Amino acid sequence: MIRFVFKRFLGLIPTLLVIIVASFLIIRLAPGSPFTQDRAVPKSVLVEIEAKYGLDKPLPVQLGHYLMRLAHGDFGPSTKYPQRSVNEIIAEGLPITLTLSLVALAWALLVGVGAGIIGAVRQNSKWDQAAMAFAMLGISIPTFVLGPLLVLLFSLHWYLLPPGGFGEWRHVILPGITLGTAYAAYFARLTRAGLLEVTRSDYIRTAHAKGLPESTVIFRHMLRGGLLPVVTFLGPAIAHLMVGSVIVEKIFNIPGIGPYFVDAAFNRDYGLVMGIVVLESALLLMMNLLVDVMYAVLDPRIRLQGAP
Amino acid sequence: MVRHAWLMVIGCLVGCQQVDNPYFGTATLRHSPDELRFNNGAEPRHIDPGKCSESSGGEIANNLFSGLTDYDPATSAPVPDLATSWDISPDGLVYTFHLRPSQWNDGTPLTAHDFEWSWKRVLRPETESVYTSILSDIKGVSAVTQGSASPDSIGVHAIDDHTLRVELEHPVPHFLELVAYYTFRPVPRHHLEKFKAQGLDETLWTRPEYIVSNGPFNLKEWKFRQYFLLERNPLYWDAKNVKIKFARLYTIEEAHTALNMYRAGEIDWLGPSMDVPAEFIDSLKHYKDYVQTPHLGVYYYWLNVKKPPLDDVRVRKALALAIDRQSLVTHITRGGEIPIASLVPDGLAGYKALPIPLYDPDLARKLLAEAGYPGGKNFPHLRVIYNTLTHHKQVAEAIQEMWQRNLGIQIDLENREWKVFLDELDSGEYHIARMGWIGDYADPNTFLQEILASYSDNNRSGWKDPTYDRLLKEANNTVNRQERLNRLQMAESHAMDAMPLLPLYVYTRKFLVKPYVHGWHPNMRGIYPLKYFWLEETRAVRELPLQENPK
Repeated sequence: MIRFVFKRFLGLIPTLLVIIVASFLIIRLAPGSPFTQDRAVPKSVLVEIEAKYGLDKPLPVQLGHYLMRLAHGDFGPSTKYPQRSVNEIIAEGLPITLTLSLVALAWALLVGVGAGIIGAVRQNSKWDQAAMAFAMLGISIPTFVLGPLLVLLFSLHWYLLPPGGFGEWRHVILPGITLGTAYAAYFARLTRAGLLEVTRSDYIRTAHAKGLPESTVIFRHMLRGGLLPVVTFLGPAIAHLMVGSVIVEKIFNIPGIGPYFVDAAFNRDYGLVMGIVVLESALLLMMNLLVDVMYAVLDPRIRLQGAP
Repeated sequence: MVRHAWLMVIGCLVGCQQVDNPYFGTATLRHSPDELRFNNGAEPRHIDPGKCSESSGGEIANNLFSGLTDYDPATSAPVPDLATSWDISPDGLVYTFHLRPSQWNDGTPLTAHDFEWSWKRVLRPETESVYTSILSDIKGVSAVTQGSASPDSIGVHAIDDHTLRVELEHPVPHFLELVAYYTFRPVPRHHLEKFKAQGLDETLWTRPEYIVSNGPFNLKEWKFRQYFLLERNPLYWDAKNVKIKFARLYTIEEAHTALNMYRAGEIDWLGPSMDVPAEFIDSLKHYKDYVQTPHLGVYYYWLNVKKPPLDDVRVRKALALAIDRQSLVTHITRGGEIPIASLVPDGLAGYKALPIPLYDPDLARKLLAEAGYPGGKNFPHLRVIYNTLTHHKQVAEAIQEMWQRNLGIQIDLENREWKVFLDELDSGEYHIARMGWIGDYADPNTFLQEILASYSDNNRSGWKDPTYDRLLKEANNTVNRQERLNRLQMAESHAMDAMPLLPLYVYTRKFLVKPYVHGWHPNMRGIYPLKYFWLEETRAVRELPLQENPK
């Protein structure tokens, strides 16, 4: 098992390296400089600034410097926010985006798996239809519609929750629900489908035949097998939640890393673009690895190569 | 059951309109009256007064640092701040400022030497200040920016701790207002030199844990991309007249989010740098807390005089005359913008705008025919570029339609991402490009010199004219005020005869400000010193004169 994980982990490094070099070159190909603005920058000042960030050197040299720095865990400076390093910006923003993603995930799992179980257990009943209608709605409504709608009700009409900002628990409720609802809908459909598939399998029939109570059959036996598709989806879902938070973080003015995916590129903030790309690709690769491992733990039929 | 739920949601949405409320959203103060909250727009790149170049950073620098003069909250005219008085030589070339005793917020005395050092610092390339041109009226500065002299040679001298002598290249009638601008505000030399001696990166000195300032407020917190929290500075010389204790400046970039936060009472004012978006004006302008005021800024199109057929002045004039500017501001921008066919707004510091016709399609057609394109025949395909924003797109579409209708010519519209847009502008690879310029001081020079002088980096038209430079210089060397304005008008007239740009309208600002916010005055310069603000719910208090604090 450990050998398998270690081997897969080593395999991630070349992939990551290719991503880094490719994105480093692509962002430099984009026209425009990190330092241009509507008020023209005097030439002598521009030369000074470019030298400070090492942008006056040939591209391969810059790439070499960047990789060296990266090897030491240093993402370098941000050109847009000179008072902060990229490490600092990510260290400030990442926990905020993570918090938001976890709230969204908790909401999605709670509502989604709950609705999925109801749908599967009471298949084709009114409850099932309601749960699946919710799922349909959740998938169809984009976050930029759901977010303002929630703000309209909870912030502007009832003055219950703030319409934007970050700092207290009150600030993450609306964005969490906005971000999580679409995933809740996916989870509901996956759970329902997964559970229905195992309902007819031999081991569930055996469980019923043993005379186990309904709840034990559902939670001990059915869920374990039936949740496999949900678990598969969980890894990419977390990664996607973090990327997908771009719009939600904009709507609710949350200072997470979401908006950097777009803004850093628009600002030609080379350091920050690279920091975000490296972070997100590392996250995505790790999540995929984690899912593979989780599979083995949940489904006894899957045996890992090299595992005992 | 499900149907009832929908009815509830719809009923609530309708109810949210609150037609009987004369204010947009809550008019009740929902936080401590000690703390003013407003939106300051994008996260600033710098808040160092010597390095700032954007409005969000300038707003903070203006309130953390105090200069020789400050702006009157109602008129924006210069009022004494650290300088209690000044002597001006009869030829208008030498200013001697007398400073009051004051201190930095670490207790170090502030002297005239701090000013001298700070202004010279702005000119050093390693400071990376992008706004050195605002100092160009000071003797010797042009030579420094051209690289032929050292910053130490400029005409700024601290005679003693409380006297600062400034020599100018030519008389500058607005110099007292100019020195209120943030680039002229002092930075703590003793602190910065210590910073350097410790081997720390000087850029970091404006972070709350390090910053030393001298203005009405101290920087208490800087939550990256969330807010700046300013706290009243007890060591400020006029601290007893600073009314609010705290000011929280939120960093909100999305107008919709800011509007929501305003409506819910989370912020008290939409802020100095955010307007109500055009699509909301019609539905918001009847609210009592909606304020509309002219702004010292001009929206215009650059015409690239190096690209045929725009190298023919008749074509440039035809394009200018074929735009129905009145229709543009009435139907497209909708915020009370003032149509303008020349660059300097009428009435700016006594200046009279040029009598250029706003709209004359017949003359436009005639000029185009003279240039060899009767009825727009054989006119090459030109391209208007603008940075991606709905507003710019709508303006461009309206103009495209007017040119098609009045001149029979086809123009292509292309939007560009901001950095690509600037790149094309700087490289001169465009035909027509949208731009805007906000004046930094109340004098025609803020437009005439900053945008059109051949030596200005902001002149992106390819139009460089020695005659214009000479006229401008002659005007600026004139001591008599009225004579100077007349000569400036001659210079502008010369430029508008060549028409390297196509002015469209004077900006307006569209604000929302809660009825409990006091000490706030709409003004053309868009400067709102926070030290005059206070929050008070009693409506009657609004009628009191500004200086009388009801507490």
